[in-house]
Amino acid sequence: MLWIAIRMLTGDKQKFYGLVFGIAFSTLLITQQLTIFVNLIERGASGVYNVPSADVWVMDEVSRTTDVNFPMPSTALDKVRAVPGVEWAVPHLRAGASVRTSNGDLEGVSVIGVDDATLIGLPRRMAQGSTDVLSTPDSVIIDDVGTTRMFENGQSPIGERLELNDQRAVIRGVADAVPSFTSQVTLYTKYSRALNYVPGTRNRMSFVLAGASDGIAPEALTQAIEEQTGLRARTRDQFAQDGVDFIIQNTGIPLNFGITVLLGFIVGVAIVGLTFSLFIRDNVKQFGALKAIGVTNRKIRGMVASQAGLVGLIGYGLGVIGTVLFIWGFSSNPTFKGFYIPWQVPLISLAAVALILLFTGWLALRNVLKTEPAAVFR
Amino acid sequence: MALLPENFSFARKGLPLVAIAGLVIAALFIWSGLPDRQLEEPERDPPRATGALANSARVAGAGVVEPSSETISVGTALAGLVTDLRVQPGDFVTRGQPLFVVDTRAIRSRVEESGAAVGEARAAIQEAQAAIAEARSAESTAGRQLALYREVDDPAAVSRAEVIRAEGEASAARQRRELAQARLSAAQARLRSAEAQVGSARTELGRATVRAPISGEILAVNIRPGEYLSTSAGGNSQSFIEMGETRPLHIRIDVDEEQAPRVALGEPAIVSPRGAAERQVKASFVRAEPQIVPKRSLTNSAAERVDVRVLQLIYQLPDSDGTFRVGQQVDAFIPAKDGKTPQASRAEAAR
Amino acid sequence: MTADPHPAPSQNDAAIATRGVTRDFKAGQRNITVLHGIDLDIRAGELTYLVGESGSGKTTLISIMCGILWPTEGKVEVFGTDIYALSDTELVEFRLQNIGFIFQQYNLIPSIDAASNAAVPLIAQGMPRLEARERAIAMMEKLNIGDQIDKLPSQLSGGQQQRVAIARALVHEPRLVVCDEPTAALDAGSGRRVMDLLRQVAVAEDRACIIVTHDNRVFDLADRILVLEDGEITHDGTEMPEDH
Repeated sequence: MLWIAIRMLTGDKQKFYGLVFGIAFSTLLITQQLTIFVNLIERGASGVYNVPSADVWVMDEVSRTTDVNFPMPSTALDKVRAVPGVEWAVPHLRAGASVRTSNGDLEGVSVIGVDDATLIGLPRRMAQGSTDVLSTPDSVIIDDVGTTRMFENGQSPIGERLELNDQRAVIRGVADAVPSFTSQVTLYTKYSRALNYVPGTRNRMSFVLAGASDGIAPEALTQAIEEQTGLRARTRDQFAQDGVDFIIQNTGIPLNFGITVLLGFIVGVAIVGLTFSLFIRDNVKQFGALKAIGVTNRKIRGMVASQAGLVGLIGYGLGVIGTVLFIWGFSSNPTFKGFYIPWQVPLISLAAVALILLFTGWLALRNVLKTEPAAVFR
Repeated sequence: MALLPENFSFARKGLPLVAIAGLVIAALFIWSGLPDRQLEEPERDPPRATGALANSARVAGAGVVEPSSETISVGTALAGLVTDLRVQPGDFVTRGQPLFVVDTRAIRSRVEESGAAVGEARAAIQEAQAAIAEARSAESTAGRQLALYREVDDPAAVSRAEVIRAEGEASAARQRRELAQARLSAAQARLRSAEAQVGSARTELGRATVRAPISGEILAVNIRPGEYLSTSAGGNSQSFIEMGETRPLHIRIDVDEEQAPRVALGEPAIVSPRGAAERQVKASFVRAEPQIVPKRSLTNSAAERVDVRVLQLIYQLPDSDGTFRVGQQVDAFIPAKDGKTPQASRAEAAR
Repeated sequence: MTADPHPAPSQNDAAIATRGVTRDFKAGQRNITVLHGIDLDIRAGELTYLVGESGSGKTTLISIMCGILWPTEGKVEVFGTDIYALSDTELVEFRLQNIGFIFQQYNLIPSIDAASNAAVPLIAQGMPRLEARERAIAMMEKLNIGDQIDKLPSQLSGGQQQRVAIARALVHEPRLVVCDEPTAALDAGSGRRVMDLLRQVAVAEDRACIIVTHDNRVFDLADRILVLEDGEITHDGTEMPEDH
């Protein structure tokens, strides 16, 4: 019977492709928009995720995110180091500065000062050059997306001179980093040099990055640090979430994307629901005949379910592959750098597709199930 | 289309295959595209507390390596050109060993000059002594002659004039002797003065050679032969030679004044140099500076302002070949008195 | 008619026995009674015609007799089974096993070929598709459309389509065949040929065959003709009454 159902479905090409298109379009819209949404707000956490080795971030009590921070006196580092359970702790500086490029343009950058000795605070990978270049005087490492913003026409940034707070800085490497929400140019340098590049205030140290000893949970460590030092300590995941929350609270992004996803859902329901209903109505006589011949309602439900399942499988598959192609196609674009499809998103759109099909299938089935077999004789 | 089976249906077989293949590819893409957010160990070892301190109460501080004698900036007593430099950085010197010499030519000429004066005085003495001798012999001759005339009672035998002449000769000879004696003492005085001048010039010559005040290592030499040294060097100018006792080395650790009460004074500290955190050593306690001082910042920023005060603790480093050098920054972990956190003790005090 | 208005159906000779079958329809506030207590025995081995004007209730009656429309009152036994005493599912299963349907509009599934259409009841019974198709092809060969098995319904003429429908009605060897105006959509020639064929193939010892029709061109093929007027049987015989 399922074979017959599938034949019935694909026999009507127009409606079949209409259904597939509707599902595929909905899936594409929901998956793609959710993916972009998730990636966009996760930009708020990129500063945290760019530092691969820190279990815990320690900051002033009023600091909120990597970019919204209030610096601490330099002895805070020793306070953190004194907490039992802290395996290690290093200073970390993040501040905004204005840079003058060699051709005289002014560009706002964020300067990140990493620990002099260990270079903890640099991104995991380098796109060009090695992290050792920071040992040479006046050298900075630029992030790869910042490169495209600051140097147009694919000009190589290596060796370029910049002027930062009246000091000379030479770009000697390119880091492979996920850009921040604002895609601001980021310059990495050693902590001691960053102090010179950033216009001075009394306290300069934005964060202390700490590692937990073996067998100590970061959550427990943050508590110990907060208790002993009076500073605010967040685990890596908490602090990443803080960055995401900050964007959610301060921008209209969730609402906008929420509306688009809802639209995708509604469009899916509309197209699929209409087409499916039309399809079932066209076939209501055949279904009636089948019912008269002796096909149970359960089997009819199974037939409609298999039709919905096929349409869902094809449409969902095409929609997801569309999203993948989209992300893959734009992966070289700096705007989409680091974009990925969270595995939850296809599952959400799968649930949405299932919901659409369940809803429209139920609407369509109601017609069939209501049909009296006796109607075939009229 | 010959590749496909005859009754191949695009909608029924092709599309589902495409969809399933697409889903598989998508799953692979999504799986491989998930961002790598694994925590990893830092590439280079950061300083960390080890052993008993790893999970117990402790205080951390940053410090600087210094000689156990602290650094001595060797100065000069005399201004002048450097003519001779006897040491290089890294030399070990014993107390009193010459370090460098400033220009001594002027002093040496004064030595020679006063030496000549000594010779001259000596010659004058000899001359006076000769005159004395001559005067004495003349005096005795005249005396004998006078005595002879006195023994001759015959006034005619000796004319009165002869006697007077002899008396005159005798007194002249005496006066000559006295004069020569006076010249002798003057010459002697001149000799003493000249000799004193020689001594003074010699002393000066000695001051031109600067010697090591203690036994120790030469840490820095900031002068070169031919440079002019001024005795009034002070303020910000560089010291000529820095030296200190580097066997053993000391470290001066800054501890935040808030943390200072927690330090267990007398306990050894775990110390590692910046950038080589794995080379930890145990340093023994020497003393705590009696004075709390503003933190000396090591950021090189000219506009540095400070509001943090620190307790300085001195620890002695064990022998280590080249791990620690004077002036190097170190990270240190010191045991704390008890497990109480500042907050906890504050809360206790409030109760 | 005896004292008992509704005598018990005899088990032996009646394939279908209806007793006191009444059917009301609601039309707005009014109740329209379409059937007024039909008592009828249909025998196996006969080709029975049910003839009547539009609105006479013949479609309602045949629907009730084949188990797809519940009577308001009365009882229907098909080969000894009181079909309206069965549960819904049992009734559907009973239809599937025992009844073959032929519709006026054929009601073939347009997107599957003729043989598959004919195999639908077997497939619905759970027979593997290819085996069912084999059986359907054998049946179609009997019906002289063995050369049309691969064609879609839209590629067949009306007569051929109705023959496919007949193959579908007979493929699972039902004990009762119900036909609703099988020739109404056909021209005279093909209608007659279809009816001839039906008579040859469908009528068998233990099989009852009821045909609802008002096609007077094929009345001569009937073994028994029942005339229904305003919900009551007005004629029961081998020939059409003269006044019709």
